[in-house]
Amino acid sequence: MVPMGEELAAVTGKIADGTALDEQDVRLLVGTRDLLALGTAADDARRRRHADRVSFVQVLDVPMDTAMVEEPLPDQAGEIRVTGRPESVAAAVSAVRAVVARAGAVPVTGFTLADLQGVSGHEAGRLGDALAELRDAGLAVVTEAVVEKLTNPEPVFEVLRESGLTLGCLTLGDAVGETAVPLLRRIATWDSVATVCRSVAPLSRVEPTPPTTGYSDLRQVALARLLVDNIDSIQVDWTRHGPKLAQVALTVGADDVDAVPAVWPDGLGQRRSPREEVRRNIVAAGFVAVRRNGCFEVLDSPDGAARE
Amino acid sequence: MSVESTARKVLAGDRLSGEDALGLYVDAPTSLLGRLADTIRARKHPSGLVTYIIDRNVNYTNVCVARCSFCAFYRPVGADDGYVLGFEELFRKIDETLAVGGVQLLLQGGHNPDLPLEWYEELFGAIKARYPEFKLHALSPPELLHLSRLSQHPVPVVVDRLLQAGLDSVPGGGAEILVDRVRRRLHCDSKATADEWLSVMRAVHRAGLRSTATMMFGSVERLDERVEHLYRLRDLQDETGGFTAFIAWSYQPPNTELGGAEATGVDYLRTLALARIVLDNFDNVQASWVTQGGKVGQLSLTYGANDMGSVMIEENVVRAAGAEHCMDEAEIVRNIEDAGFVPKRRNMLYDVLGDPLFRSRAIPRRTELDVARATGDTTVPAELSRYPARSRSGKAQRAFDGS
Ligand code: SF4
Repeated sequence: MVPMGEELAAVTGKIADGTALDEQDVRLLVGTRDLLALGTAADDARRRRHADRVSFVQVLDVPMDTAMVEEPLPDQAGEIRVTGRPESVAAAVSAVRAVVARAGAVPVTGFTLADLQGVSGHEAGRLGDALAELRDAGLAVVTEAVVEKLTNPEPVFEVLRESGLTLGCLTLGDAVGETAVPLLRRIATWDSVATVCRSVAPLSRVEPTPPTTGYSDLRQVALARLLVDNIDSIQVDWTRHGPKLAQVALTVGADDVDAVPAVWPDGLGQRRSPREEVRRNIVAAGFVAVRRNGCFEVLDSPDGAARE
Repeated sequence: MSVESTARKVLAGDRLSGEDALGLYVDAPTSLLGRLADTIRARKHPSGLVTYIIDRNVNYTNVCVARCSFCAFYRPVGADDGYVLGFEELFRKIDETLAVGGVQLLLQGGHNPDLPLEWYEELFGAIKARYPEFKLHALSPPELLHLSRLSQHPVPVVVDRLLQAGLDSVPGGGAEILVDRVRRRLHCDSKATADEWLSVMRAVHRAGLRSTATMMFGSVERLDERVEHLYRLRDLQDETGGFTAFIAWSYQPPNTELGGAEATGVDYLRTLALARIVLDNFDNVQASWVTQGGKVGQLSLTYGANDMGSVMIEENVVRAAGAEHCMDEAEIVRNIEDAGFVPKRRNMLYDVLGDPLFRSRAIPRRTELDVARATGDTTVPAELSRYPARSRSGKAQRAFDGS
């Protein structure tokens, strides 16, 4: 209805029809300055996968070195995430055991794939053993893998799949703008990734200098949705990117909100809890909020969305 | 009317009824609102310029008798941390502003019963005597009304006296939502009803001054009341043509009596876009990066804004409510260019003054905004003793100073 460049309209039409994009289409998407057109195409693509649902997870971070879980466990926690780099497989396993002992039914996640490869001497066999030990200790999900560090990922995904563990998300380490596009396109070529990973987090969790802009962030989210068609969810980080940007990102292709805190400052009642805040933001963006846990299992839908 | 037919009306350049506008606001996807607003922006500003002004947002006093329930900035009369800035402090702030290429003060403050009209006249005169080219964008309609009540002179007389003293233009603050039901609930109907705010602006425009228009949304108003606010502004603009720009910001709840939650980023972008669509007789729409942060502030340029507002140097009101965002000139320019626009400096009348200043002269980077006064500074300016106080505590202070 509102005019958009003809060529771009043709590409967004292809996306809507599910037709594969050729090189020229991708160049057009990547090169356009029309953020609204790009965002609209990405929104259409995300709605075809997730309709009007946006999932979110409330996370309790537990530093690796203390492995202390506060008691009682915050009742809003949908994931307990062990953070920090382990010095050895044994240290990782012992931290997971300590956390799982207090986690009840809440899934325990932790570590980056690169860190686990590091403590396994970068040997596939030893990585497989480490993952099996962590699984036996109660780890449900490896938190993330940084895309830039995955040079030959398919065998690693295979080891992960065999261990019975999954990957929380693929994250772009510090790639922004033009450097992010080839990485997103690489992800799209990984055949087996969807068997172990549910989401891509296209916005770096480390703020570069100078900081990214709103335009570049939204463009990256939209391109992630349009270029990565082999992974189900596009994720934004509530804590890292802030409610305003995370919410606007939902209108250009993101469908999952990570790192919503499970605890909040004293004095703010339930109505000001992170759960209420994220829910309010999701609804105000025109979506239905679905609470999930660290294994991507739907816990409930405060606004009555149908379970997946 | 369906969203599609309303959108077609917008694209055809037809005016929307209030009902059409509300329907669009409630039902249109955010991306459609953005596209409509962006289309209008591009028609009004086809060269792709995005402007900004280098000025300083100074609050000359935080003492206020209005006690709006959404305000985290004011202090009651007699409060230990109430302040009035002295002339010398204001001169120093102007010197600092000039040093970074600033062209005006945006001067607003509380309704302080101990500052009579003569104080403002003397201040404006003193500023103009020292800095003849420097502009004074000062005193929102409720402040002018307060001075009218305090001095017992009609608003046009107050405006005329301040104009003679050096007032250049009037900021559109204090509009909040121009619906009296909302104003009563915000406890700001006594500072100015909707009609009073508009009639002060009418007087300002009739006196030959230009002004901006604002909207603080996201407190207790309904969506139809936001729309009504826009139509009241549009009607006055049809009548006077005196508004240079429209600025919307979201209510900032922290540290206020009213409390509650802030409107979301998407609410802000939708409201901004609707304003661009409804206010077809306003040339300029500003982004409020001070309340939204730099990222959503920049995205405003896709949702109808053509101006990044002010390189503020100083800000006190929004900070009192907990929001602290800072963008110096280099950062504003980076955001404008990154969004695909051409940055230009402007004055309050939106005349283009030139290219970014930091590219032609060394200007120190700034990562945080100044405040009106350092915490704990309780200095009482000497010149206050020349003016009679009305409040009991003000009278006691004057008597103490004179003894
Ligand atoms: S908003 Fe203005 S008039 Fe209202 S209390 Fe605050 S300073 Fe006073």
